[in-house]
Amino acid sequence: MTSLWPRLEPLLPRVEKPARYIGCEDGARTDIYKPEATSWLLTYPDTYEIGLPNQGLQILYELLNERPDAFAERSYAPWTDLEAEMRRARLPLFSVDTHRPAAEFDIIAFNLSAELVYTNVLNCIDLAGLRVRASERDDSDPLVGAGGHCAYNPEPLADFVDFFVMGDGEEVISEITDIVGAWRVTGKPSGSRDTVLHALARIDGVYVPSMYNVVYDGPKLVSVEPRHSDVPPIIQKRTVADLADWPYPRNQLVPLTEVVHDRLNVEVFRGCTRGCRFCQAGMITRPVRERPASQIREMVSKGLERTGYDEVSLTSLSTADFSDIEKVVSDTIDEPGTCGRVSIALPSLRVDAFTVGVAAQVSRARRTGLTFAPEAGSWRMRQIINKLITEDDLYGAVRSAYSQGWHRMKLYFLTGLPSEMDDDTLGIAELVQNCVEIGQEYTKKASVTVSLGGFVPKPHTPFQWFGQNEPEELQRKVDLLRSKVRRNKRIQLKWHSPGASTAEGITSRGDRRIGRAIEYVWRRGGVFQEWSEHFDLALWQEAMNASGLSLEWYVHRHREEDEVLPWDHIHAGLHKDFLWQDWQDALAGYGLEDCRWTPCYDCGACTEYGIEHVVASPAPPNGGSQGTGQDLATGHLVPVELRPRAGIGGT
Amino acid sequence: MRLRLRFSKIGKVRFVGHRDVARIIERGLRRCGVPVTYSEGFSPRVRLSFGLALPTCYESEAEYLDIPLDPESVVDGDVVCTGWREGTTNSIEQLRTALNEALPTGFEVVTLVIEPKVGPSLQESIISCTWRFDIRGGNLELVQRAIVAALESSTVEADRKKKNEILRENIRDGIYDLRADGTSELGPIVVAELSAKPRVIRPSELVEVLAPGSELGVARRTHQWIEREGARYEPLALNNSRTIKDLA
Ligand code: SF4
Repeated sequence: MTSLWPRLEPLLPRVEKPARYIGCEDGARTDIYKPEATSWLLTYPDTYEIGLPNQGLQILYELLNERPDAFAERSYAPWTDLEAEMRRARLPLFSVDTHRPAAEFDIIAFNLSAELVYTNVLNCIDLAGLRVRASERDDSDPLVGAGGHCAYNPEPLADFVDFFVMGDGEEVISEITDIVGAWRVTGKPSGSRDTVLHALARIDGVYVPSMYNVVYDGPKLVSVEPRHSDVPPIIQKRTVADLADWPYPRNQLVPLTEVVHDRLNVEVFRGCTRGCRFCQAGMITRPVRERPASQIREMVSKGLERTGYDEVSLTSLSTADFSDIEKVVSDTIDEPGTCGRVSIALPSLRVDAFTVGVAAQVSRARRTGLTFAPEAGSWRMRQIINKLITEDDLYGAVRSAYSQGWHRMKLYFLTGLPSEMDDDTLGIAELVQNCVEIGQEYTKKASVTVSLGGFVPKPHTPFQWFGQNEPEELQRKVDLLRSKVRRNKRIQLKWHSPGASTAEGITSRGDRRIGRAIEYVWRRGGVFQEWSEHFDLALWQEAMNASGLSLEWYVHRHREEDEVLPWDHIHAGLHKDFLWQDWQDALAGYGLEDCRWTPCYDCGACTEYGIEHVVASPAPPNGGSQGTGQDLATGHLVPVELRPRAGIGGT
Repeated sequence: MRLRLRFSKIGKVRFVGHRDVARIIERGLRRCGVPVTYSEGFSPRVRLSFGLALPTCYESEAEYLDIPLDPESVVDGDVVCTGWREGTTNSIEQLRTALNEALPTGFEVVTLVIEPKVGPSLQESIISCTWRFDIRGGNLELVQRAIVAALESSTVEADRKKKNEILRENIRDGIYDLRADGTSELGPIVVAELSAKPRVIRPSELVEVLAPGSELGVARRTHQWIEREGARYEPLALNNSRTIKDLA
């Protein structure tokens, strides 16, 4: 085992935030090196501060390190200052646990949480000392794997990654370890790489791009088909049926330097069936699987005691929907070990579930920031996106918060949604102004931060057919809203760069050819594209042109019903005709209730795999409208129409 | 009453910044159930008062921290713990062991005492620090000559970065002691006592003076000094049986 630490150490005084690279976290394993074991380097292709808290990566880290015949270490993308030093000193990518070189591992596995990190994936492969294109790597080189939400459209990275994992990783990671372990003992002789990849391709939930041929007809994708008869034509996602079997991470890593979400994080449920049509996470993680409340209590108290944190976040896609959330929150605050000094973060709060009761419980401890996501400014628009919260729901939640002592909150909205009109955008201003007015009944300091994101249609959602707004159009809408709220000092507007949304659009719904553009951007130094100081839309436009690819084709046009989508061979459980019907319902303005509390629509996520929701409460936990029992068929006063696209014909 | 502790920060953790050290210690104290006190206000924080902040990348075997304690939690010289250790009473030595288990590798509490809260804060009372550092790529003979020249002269000019400016200043009055002490695998070792008032002089400023073009290797703070009735003391002296080598 080689440690690069002696060579890394002299470089660290020259860079910003050197503590990013030292490891030493409580919970980190530095004693697990076993020369005969199958080794994984779990890599997060963004900075340490963003990557360290990633729960998926930490869960796999523990599971692998529990195996006697495997071990895992971690790596994060070095910031550009260290990268320059590393390249000058010819120092390769390393693990932070023991500072071993990346190329000494059997598998380098990336977590893909966002599309704009793709160029960093290439950069990390290159820094590891490997060829970025999978087809050019040697037999004995580490296998490059990837998983996480963005893996559900693997094609843009298909030329660079040897295998992808779809869905929950808890079980499949073991199966992969077995196969790679068997390959490892053969000494990885010449020609064996193809054999091990072929074997991996037969595991449920694993996609090996090199085992599939892609056929195009001009710009059109015709098919993605297996090259061998024993390789599945459709790759099924993996789903863990019961979270109670997986109380991980047991030993959450406690970093020595401040990271995002620097607190204890306990996942209270996985999956969400609210059915928001723009939300990929909700669609691909179905069904809802709640962790038993008793297990949550234990994970919270053991975790706080072990780590010394005084803040805990109960994580999920919509935490207030957890059955009996009030009780879980109050039990946490009443845990004697915390002396009443624990604060509770509830990320992703549905406004229709944030009641005075929950607010009162949370505010007994130190108040954390509150974020609500109404997503759209009008009821018409919210029906289209199926975010079925009424204005009264929002005002109720806001009132609950201000009345319980909060002074400010953050509201998330999207712009560039299907059939959006300027009235919808301006509706945001009205909603927010009303929220501020409610706040001022309770405190003079009341303020609201509005965060406006440009909508990027995602694979495996009903909006996957929708043509994304051009950056100019998104910017126009941002400016429209800005001019409306500018004079109100109590409203602070922040918005996501429309250019970055375009680049995200290229990578999120691209096919295999988009890999050329990603490589082009990377070769010209385009790393850390999630960071505004490094993002450059012109570089992406140039990359598309140089690769002979059309932005219009990949990003802005509306797609057709019978079109082969680049991710059609990846199955997230959702039937394509369910998604198409939901898209049509969206355009017709029909909302769809949450199937957790109403009958099943047979979207496929449960029915395909013989699993079910695991939900303790048969009814929505907190009253409120919960998107149920509303008149969802009102449609709208204004007929829905997708914006026609000049010269191309609209739908 | 307060808990005053002296701790070391050695090895990889030298790259952890001062603010992060405070957070690490806060978590450690909470794990051990130390009956800390909190600041007032909207988001109360644990009250901690450190000696001179240690720059990132520097090691130390002489970091100090005062932790005000709830007076009722000290009984017969022992600490009555709260929180996760509710119901236990720790002797000073037990508390030291518990803290060392709770802190990350590289941090070690070497001494701690419970004492009445008197006198100025640590930060105000520190007058100077002693440092031991090596110079990467320096030459021992040249460094020795530079030391002699510096000590004989009344001006020693060094650059200091202040925001976006580089200031050139005479730091001679802030050099209380300066000598070479052999070589390490990186280069010559220098021991220096440098002022903390009116401003803190850092070993990095000396490197340019002693070996132009070379880089600071690893620097370790070995002492922080306070003055009492004309004599120089450490806020907490080390137990004689402990040497630098034991700490490393
Ligand atoms: S299969 Fe039915 S119950 Fe399961 S997520 Fe889909 S619609 Fe809901």
